[in-house]
Amino acid sequence: MTLALLVLLPFLAAIGLTFVPKENEGTPRIVALLTTFLGLLLGVRLFWQFDAGQTGYQFVTTIPGLGAEALGIHCRLGVDGINVGLLLMGAIVAFAATCVARDIGERAKEFYVLLLVMTGGILGAFASLDLFFFYFFHELALIPTFIMIGVWGRGEDKNYATFKITLYLSLGALIALFGLIALYLQMPPDQRTFDIPAITQYFAGQRMAARAQQLIFPALMFGFGILVSLWPFHTWAPLGYGAAPTATAMLHAGVLKKFGLYGLIRVAVPLMPDGAKQWLGVLALLCLGNILYCGLVAMRQKDLNLLIGNSSVAHMGFVFLGIASLNLIGITGAVVIMIAHGLLAAVSFALSGYLYQQTRTLEISRMGGLLQQVPFAGMALTMAMLAGCGLPGFANFVGESMVFFGAWKVFPVVTALACWGALIIGAVYMLRAVRSILHGPLPEDWKDLRDLSNLWRRLPFAVLLFTLLLFGFFPRLLTDKIRPSAETIVRMANGGSVGTRASNQVVQTGLVGEPRNEQRPLTPHPGPLPWGEGASIVAFRESGGTRIGETRAKVFPLPEGEGQGEGERDGGKSGRVNSPQGLSFAE
Amino acid sequence: MKLEALPWLILFLPLLAAVGITLFTLKNRERSAGLSIGAIVLGFVLTIFFIAVNGWEPVDKETVASWLEVEPLQVDFGLRLDPLCLMMLLIVTGVGGAIHIYSYGYMRDDPGVGRYFAGLSLFTFSMLGIVLANNFLQLFIFWELVGLSSYVLIGFWHERPSAAEASKKAFLTNRLGDFGFLLGILLVWDTFGTLHFSSIQVELIRNPAALGSLATIAGLLIFCGAVGKSAQFPLHVWLPDAMEGPTPVSALIHAATMVAAGVYMLCRVFFLLDLPDSHALEVIAWIGGITALLAALIATQQNDIKRILAYSTLSQLGYMVLAVGVASPAPAMYHLTTHAFFKALLFLGAGSVIHALHHEQDIWKMGALKSKMPVTFWTFLLASLALCGLPPLSGFFSKDEIIAATVNPEHGHPALFVLAVGVALLTTFYMSRLVLVAFFGPAKSHGVDHAHESPSVMTWPLLALAVPSVAGGFFGIAELYGHQLGEAHSGYHVLAVVASLGAVIFGFAFALGLYWNAAQDPLPEKLGALAEAARNRFYFDELYEATVIKFQEIAAAIADWFDQWIVAGLMVRGAHGATELFGRALRLVQTGNLQTYAFLFVLSAAVVLYFMIGR
Repeated sequence: MTLALLVLLPFLAAIGLTFVPKENEGTPRIVALLTTFLGLLLGVRLFWQFDAGQTGYQFVTTIPGLGAEALGIHCRLGVDGINVGLLLMGAIVAFAATCVARDIGERAKEFYVLLLVMTGGILGAFASLDLFFFYFFHELALIPTFIMIGVWGRGEDKNYATFKITLYLSLGALIALFGLIALYLQMPPDQRTFDIPAITQYFAGQRMAARAQQLIFPALMFGFGILVSLWPFHTWAPLGYGAAPTATAMLHAGVLKKFGLYGLIRVAVPLMPDGAKQWLGVLALLCLGNILYCGLVAMRQKDLNLLIGNSSVAHMGFVFLGIASLNLIGITGAVVIMIAHGLLAAVSFALSGYLYQQTRTLEISRMGGLLQQVPFAGMALTMAMLAGCGLPGFANFVGESMVFFGAWKVFPVVTALACWGALIIGAVYMLRAVRSILHGPLPEDWKDLRDLSNLWRRLPFAVLLFTLLLFGFFPRLLTDKIRPSAETIVRMANGGSVGTRASNQVVQTGLVGEPRNEQRPLTPHPGPLPWGEGASIVAFRESGGTRIGETRAKVFPLPEGEGQGEGERDGGKSGRVNSPQGLSFAE
Repeated sequence: MKLEALPWLILFLPLLAAVGITLFTLKNRERSAGLSIGAIVLGFVLTIFFIAVNGWEPVDKETVASWLEVEPLQVDFGLRLDPLCLMMLLIVTGVGGAIHIYSYGYMRDDPGVGRYFAGLSLFTFSMLGIVLANNFLQLFIFWELVGLSSYVLIGFWHERPSAAEASKKAFLTNRLGDFGFLLGILLVWDTFGTLHFSSIQVELIRNPAALGSLATIAGLLIFCGAVGKSAQFPLHVWLPDAMEGPTPVSALIHAATMVAAGVYMLCRVFFLLDLPDSHALEVIAWIGGITALLAALIATQQNDIKRILAYSTLSQLGYMVLAVGVASPAPAMYHLTTHAFFKALLFLGAGSVIHALHHEQDIWKMGALKSKMPVTFWTFLLASLALCGLPPLSGFFSKDEIIAATVNPEHGHPALFVLAVGVALLTTFYMSRLVLVAFFGPAKSHGVDHAHESPSVMTWPLLALAVPSVAGGFFGIAELYGHQLGEAHSGYHVLAVVASLGAVIFGFAFALGLYWNAAQDPLPEKLGALAEAARNRFYFDELYEATVIKFQEIAAAIADWFDQWIVAGLMVRGAHGATELFGRALRLVQTGNLQTYAFLFVLSAAVVLYFMIGR
């Protein structure tokens, strides 16, 4: 029930709101606040009750009546370690975004209806176990985004920004759709299903043709990548967020944007290991575009929202790097960053929105000394900026350092450069912004700014920052939940290509330098990848490409001591409902 | 309560104080100060209690909680309790406690007292975390947090542009060092599969060549962290600017404890540096020596009392790093300890003077303070003598051990010995200059006439710190460190004693000749360009401004230009334009002319037929 309520409640509230007459001006806000607050409680409950010890999906529910029986489309929801934290984060951000949407004056009712639809779509997209609804909910959340930017947006570039963000995101979603359809068609007609666990199981048993993987994986990688502002398809993001109303920017940059990453982790990487092997080296290089290039661009920004937007693009690079590393530490770290960045982006945009509302400008050089005038907002902004440059204590540090540890074995040079981006470039633009916005003497113009005075106004900021600190201090709250699911994904993604044979050949080719410290015990994963970029690609190519003909034991070499893996399940008895990841009906 | 719980309490008390102040008592100065001072003093008492009950040697005791566990990455949150830690605990809580109390007097009239004490407590927590850490990542976490608290406290008066700039500079310069440090940690983890100090040490004892050809690189990357935090050449530029913070902060963070963290870390991971195939120690020794010399030279030509002390700190940190570099971590820690006492005392004394003169920091506007501020004067004098290394004060013993270590044929080098003795001479020279100009001679400004001794809340900490500054050589501190880190290479003490005493005598004689009753500095005329260069800090700031910072700026400008004109401009608008062009081309076809349509229809039909039949 919890999960179904969490997803459906915003929709129901939105439908209900449309019947509220125009005269009741206060009602929409109150309804939206109550709904998202309830969503927050449900999200916390879901997170709390989630059993980290169990692999597979929990809280699985099918919403009756939604979907098309004839086509095999069911609205099935469920959570595992990957999305449970994202749902919690989404619920928190949705509540905070509703709280700070108070400055919406005109057509408030329509705004809150759209905000609720967006919230429901976001949560639905992350909770869906059905490929159709996974995509459908995302689109459902995207459309309100465009409308909100177009109608309630700000700045001179509003129209261009709306145009651009619509074009880009639709394009990305379209490419991803092609990929997903192609993926669907790879299953034989009599076994086709939209059920993600069933699809996962099918491809775990019957590996997709390598040729198909090499074509479908990039479609998903770039399609989803565009949605996450993968370099060089990132220019929509800073501009779009600069023009978006605060609540929309919070929800999109914080939560909806993570959909692309979620899709990569959930669908692309585990289902197409060979495609992943071939393309993730490219992803690792492109992520440097995000981390270094967009970081440098952020240094030059004169507008606070553009700075936050660019930094948000830069942060996505760390997630890409974590995914590209394709090992347990990297993927877990990537998920942690997704959650941490969601909270961080939300609090940053909320603060810049507050400053804009007070000063009617976001030009960094025009501000100054604001810490004296608005101490609470100033302190919150300082904390957000410090979290943004990866300071320990905030969850971002946990995720970023995990990604570095995970990626170091696979892409040492890229990792070193990414460290530079995180420690130096990030710190430069964040501290510069703090210096010129908050420090220094207070200009005459801002002598009558008002701080966030009462507890109620401070609440959204406090909740977001508190969650960041909580997960930063106690990362196991997240990682223990993420790890079992990430393990499954990593095991599938490393199904066969990086066998011993392959790595021996890599050493012989001499392409990748000396093998290091051969006495080291081989860990189950990351496999014995040697020193050098793209070793996995070389390994794959050297190993002769496809491995369809090999036996399953060879394709899925289970590390010793590892038990009930994906590949070991008895595939015969499980039907469409009883799916491989051990569905547990907790409710 | 079990004894193991005590270190946890000592560690987390200051954090609780910081959080409590931030959430509840920010506006109330008494309560804020009370919480912060109470936490650290209680920590000091508990540390003494712990040592009294437990003794110095619980090396095998580590209390551990798992912080992060994702195979194969395991990060504990553990507290290590060996003599090195316990001694540092005493220093941080003891010296820190004195400075906390002193702050209460010094900062009494500042409206931001609550924020100030929250910052101090946050700093204490982070520093204790560094001291107690039992693995690399935990150390790194607190390392960064120390950087944060330093940032907050240097920029305490954030409305002053100079303070805001200085805090930013300190944080960024430290981050440069941390970049190398993090890479070093990644490298070490990749090799050993663990971040735990003891496990790595055991592994290295078993197989000293475990790092193979990477030993030097790993050592140097780790050293990068120390270069940043302990402000060694070439990242030394942030420390003098850090003096923009309140003076007690300079005493606590930028003299006694935080900047010593780099040296402490080097001693903690000394087993990683002292490897057969590693040349890291040689580099470390020379970096330390160069820093010591450069800073001492600059110190001779500074006029701001805090800046003189800041460069003196740099120079002494150089000594400590030099000692680590010549494979003598025990003397390094010994000097760190004694330096913490007398340098904290010097800064607090300087603070007392600045306080009395209403924030006048130029020594050429002081003079004749000897009789006006007797307690400050005498404690300041004792601390200066200890810094110069006059026997039997504490500084004599520790400095002597370092100089003796440079003579050691195995790791030392004659040039390093000459360097160390030369720096000792310069040290005596600039400290004598400072004392002679500021406390003796005629009054050089009107402010001096109204100066009077500081209140007792400020003078008691001075007296308390004077005791260990004087008698620090007799507590057996050296033996304690020697027991854990290996005895110092003795046997050259006679030479070292003679050389350092000679340095003290000559240094003092020069200073006396030049500065007795001087009204202005005679040195610039005599030395010309060298003095000018020293006064301008050998132009390091200008050099970095023109190279590193400029380079990053240009890179950013290029990236921004590329983003605006190529990626967003050409590519995006180009794609947009191409689509539109295509649309226009299509429109040409849609003429509305029936004949054209008919023509197209026939043409297409022909094409389709060709493909269906013709092929």
